[in-house]
Amino acid sequence: MIDGLGIQIEGLSKRYGAGATAVDALRDVNMRVAPGEVVGLIGPSGSGKSTLLKCLGAVIEPTHGRMTLGGEIIYDNGWKIADLRVLRRDRIGFIFQAPYLIPFLDVTDNVALLPMLAGRDNAAARARARELLKALDMEHRAGAQPSELSGGEQQRVSIARALANRPPVILADEPTAPLDSERALAVMRILNQLAAQYQTAIIVVTHDEKIIPTFKRLYNIRDGRTIEEAGQERALA
Amino acid sequence: MKLPVKIPGKVWFIAFGIALLVGFGWVATQTGPLAPTRVTVTRVVKGDVSPALFGIGTVEARRSYLIGPTAAGRVSRVLVDVGDAVKAGQLLAEMDPVDLNARVNSAAAEAARAESAVRTARAQALDAKSRQEFAAGEAQRFTELGRSHLVSQNELDSKLQQQKSTLAQLAAAESALTGAGQDLARLEANREGTKRQRVNVRLEAPTDGVVTSRDAEPGSTVVAGQAVLTLEDPGSLWVVARLDQGRSAGLAVGLPADIVLRSEPRRPLRGRVVRVEPISDSVTEERLADVAFEKLPRAVSANELAEVTLTLPTIPDVLVVPNASIHFRGAEAGVWLLVGGHPRFAPVKLGAESLDGKMQILDGLRAGDEVVTYSERVLGEGSRIRVVASLVATAK
Amino acid sequence: MISLAGRDILHSWSRFILTGLGLGLLIGVTFTMAGVYRGMTDDAQVLLNGSGADLWVVQKDTLGPYAESSGIPDDTYREILGLPGIVRAANVAYLTMQVRKGNADVRVMLVGFQPGQPGDAPYLVAGRRITRSHYEAVADVKTGFVPGDRIRIRRHDYTVVGLTRRMVSSGGDPMLFIPLKDAQEVQFLKDNDAIVNQRARTVENPSLNRPGVPGLLRSIQASQTSSHSVNAVLVQVAVGHSAEVVARDIRRWKRLQAFDRRQMEDILIAKLIATASKQIGMFLVILTIVSAAIVAFMIYTMTLGKIREVAVLKLIGTRDRTIAGMVLQQALGLGLIGFVVGKIAATLWGPAFPRYVLLLPGDALRGFAIVMIVCVLASTLGIRAALKVDPATAIGG
Repeated sequence: MIDGLGIQIEGLSKRYGAGATAVDALRDVNMRVAPGEVVGLIGPSGSGKSTLLKCLGAVIEPTHGRMTLGGEIIYDNGWKIADLRVLRRDRIGFIFQAPYLIPFLDVTDNVALLPMLAGRDNAAARARARELLKALDMEHRAGAQPSELSGGEQQRVSIARALANRPPVILADEPTAPLDSERALAVMRILNQLAAQYQTAIIVVTHDEKIIPTFKRLYNIRDGRTIEEAGQERALA
Repeated sequence: MKLPVKIPGKVWFIAFGIALLVGFGWVATQTGPLAPTRVTVTRVVKGDVSPALFGIGTVEARRSYLIGPTAAGRVSRVLVDVGDAVKAGQLLAEMDPVDLNARVNSAAAEAARAESAVRTARAQALDAKSRQEFAAGEAQRFTELGRSHLVSQNELDSKLQQQKSTLAQLAAAESALTGAGQDLARLEANREGTKRQRVNVRLEAPTDGVVTSRDAEPGSTVVAGQAVLTLEDPGSLWVVARLDQGRSAGLAVGLPADIVLRSEPRRPLRGRVVRVEPISDSVTEERLADVAFEKLPRAVSANELAEVTLTLPTIPDVLVVPNASIHFRGAEAGVWLLVGGHPRFAPVKLGAESLDGKMQILDGLRAGDEVVTYSERVLGEGSRIRVVASLVATAK
Repeated sequence: MISLAGRDILHSWSRFILTGLGLGLLIGVTFTMAGVYRGMTDDAQVLLNGSGADLWVVQKDTLGPYAESSGIPDDTYREILGLPGIVRAANVAYLTMQVRKGNADVRVMLVGFQPGQPGDAPYLVAGRRITRSHYEAVADVKTGFVPGDRIRIRRHDYTVVGLTRRMVSSGGDPMLFIPLKDAQEVQFLKDNDAIVNQRARTVENPSLNRPGVPGLLRSIQASQTSSHSVNAVLVQVAVGHSAEVVARDIRRWKRLQAFDRRQMEDILIAKLIATASKQIGMFLVILTIVSAAIVAFMIYTMTLGKIREVAVLKLIGTRDRTIAGMVLQQALGLGLIGFVVGKIAATLWGPAFPRYVLLLPGDALRGFAIVMIVCVLASTLGIRAALKVDPATAIGG
């Protein structure tokens, strides 16, 4: 693995509160994800999964440690990036538990929104969006409203949105939770495909039994600490 | 709301937006102070103007008589009442003669006594005359005797003196007689006067007529000149009409009149102006015209209100405009003439006006000109206007 | 960049439009209140303009003839006509009263005028001018009369021959123009019972009912029932002369007061309308506050309904400024719809109001500015809520 590209976390800790009531959500977490790799992060609820995602997503500030994204040190015992919002927009893609599409924008504009926010003109942004939708086999629903799509279709659109600005990193929070096993495996297949295609490092937080066997590498997080494991890497058909 | 065709919300919204914009535009330009003033327009044409004068008046009797005594007294009896028709000479009322009869008798007695006094004076005068004649005869005889010196001068003088004295006595007696005669004349005149006063106790109708008021009842005291009864000749009822001085041009005797009595508003009566009062009312600024009925209506009362319309000769074939078109700028009359679609004030000279609102134009307009008749608001030179057919919903 | 506010509005257009309509009606009421105030001032102006006078000559020490009752002899106008600089002077009588038409009573301001003189109705909208010296009338359309109607004023029946409009008293009562003499009789002649009583009292009075002077009683009774007073003389000043100078001349007569146009406006607007304008001012403030509250509530609710989307937008990298702008634009859009609906509604229902509602273009512009400002202020509540959202909440857990 080329040093720094992908995701690299060293000694990341996050303490909520102070004094007697302090809670250590993350203790000295180390992780690395190579570009093109899809890594699972599993653990019981309350183990710190969400906190880790939030730190990586630059929405909360860790207590200390170092985070490197796409070759850039974003945190080293203090934020090293001036505008975290721009970081999130351009360098990180988010996939949520629920699709969370913007209900008043159609499918194309939902995906094109991020490039537009990044400054691309509307035509180019929409072209990019259609490209991604095609890759996700959602081109035929390009003009539909989110409310007209099924859960699986919405999830695919949200994946397209996450990729819209070609971020080096995607953070996925329980992306398969609402899906049945067939759909869930399909999503994992897509993620692996796109990760390889665009050389994106993807962390998937999950406790979905259906997809855990598909990871090549896993991180098990418990009480704020991570243990790297080898995955079963069950083949995705 | 389920529609057969699915119309996207965008279209609804745009439709709503367009409707709003159109509505707003309409509101801004067509209503409120920015909108042009709506007017109606009349063409000036030639027509006839039938001017007429209008006034209100009261029905009055041309002549009315106040019947009353010439001296203060008490009313003894009243023989007629309001509404009675009376004939000339009919006894209407009588005053209480009080002591008049006694006074007439006393005057008669005094006259009789005066007559006796005259007789006495005449007898005395006769006596004086006979004495004087005798004395004159004596004096003549003695004068003749004295010439023949048959009597003394003394006797002659005495006889002469007697003649003179009886002459004087005769003169005195004759003047006494004249005096007694004058006295008699005076007392007889007195008696006549008192008698005539007794006649005046009788109040008689001076002419045929109808009693219109009874002002004193038997027993009440009235002074000289106070009316006990008022008498009117119903055939002399006419309408005294009052016309505004400013609108009485052409008022003349002989004008035909339509009279509408307040009591019979649906039956106008015909009449004619018989007199125009030479003195007008300067306080109310009205001229008075007396209008006689052509045929006297049966049931009409004096003091009743009437409306009188006097018809003046029709003026044929002149320029007319509705009087609603006439406006005044200062003391100048004019109309709003449409020139090139804009109103311009054109001064005009006004002529006669008919009661239904047609105004004759003597000068200032030509036939075919268009003038503004009705407008929504006051016009100014060159105001923006919009000509419409009518400003109000047509009346029922 | 697309307009997020626009897309959101298009997406929930029905709710937006319905709120806009509701807000618009409220704004329409506000406009109407302001229009009523303007209408009252305009009523006063129209009253003064319509009379065609430059000066109002009234009883000394009164504020008549509109604000206070005033009585002057009806031959005063002749003396006034003799003064220099005066083109026309005419008597007028004013009286507010009920007139009957059939079974209905209508409240009017009776105007006794002389045809062609100041005080006459300046223009007609139907019918003709009065041609007879008695018992004809010209009515303002607000009375509901039409030409040909017979109406009863005190003792007499009058025929309505013409109609005018916008001739109202400062209290909003429509005017009814009748010949001056008739108005004098109406104003100063009492009802039949009172006259009969007065006659009886005069007959009982031995100093008035002298037996030795027949005809005295009749003359006295005649003078008691004749009316020779009017309320004011309206004066038109000749071109080139100053109304103030002429008014000064008239005041010097000591038994008369003369007001020029400016003073009459002051009397009518400052004194007659003062209370009403305060009330209306209060109403306007209250309505503005209520409108602001509605906009604030609506925008806040709409924003709260989007909390999750706001969190997601913030997380994926949307500027705070953009989000605030979206809320603000929605508030302004709502305000714009409300303004347009309100202006149209106020124009449409204005004529139905019993008082004259006048909406000036300047007022509309001012109203627009106020609506926009109110919307900006009202949106701050929603904007605050949007900005406070923590993007981390989008990541569940």
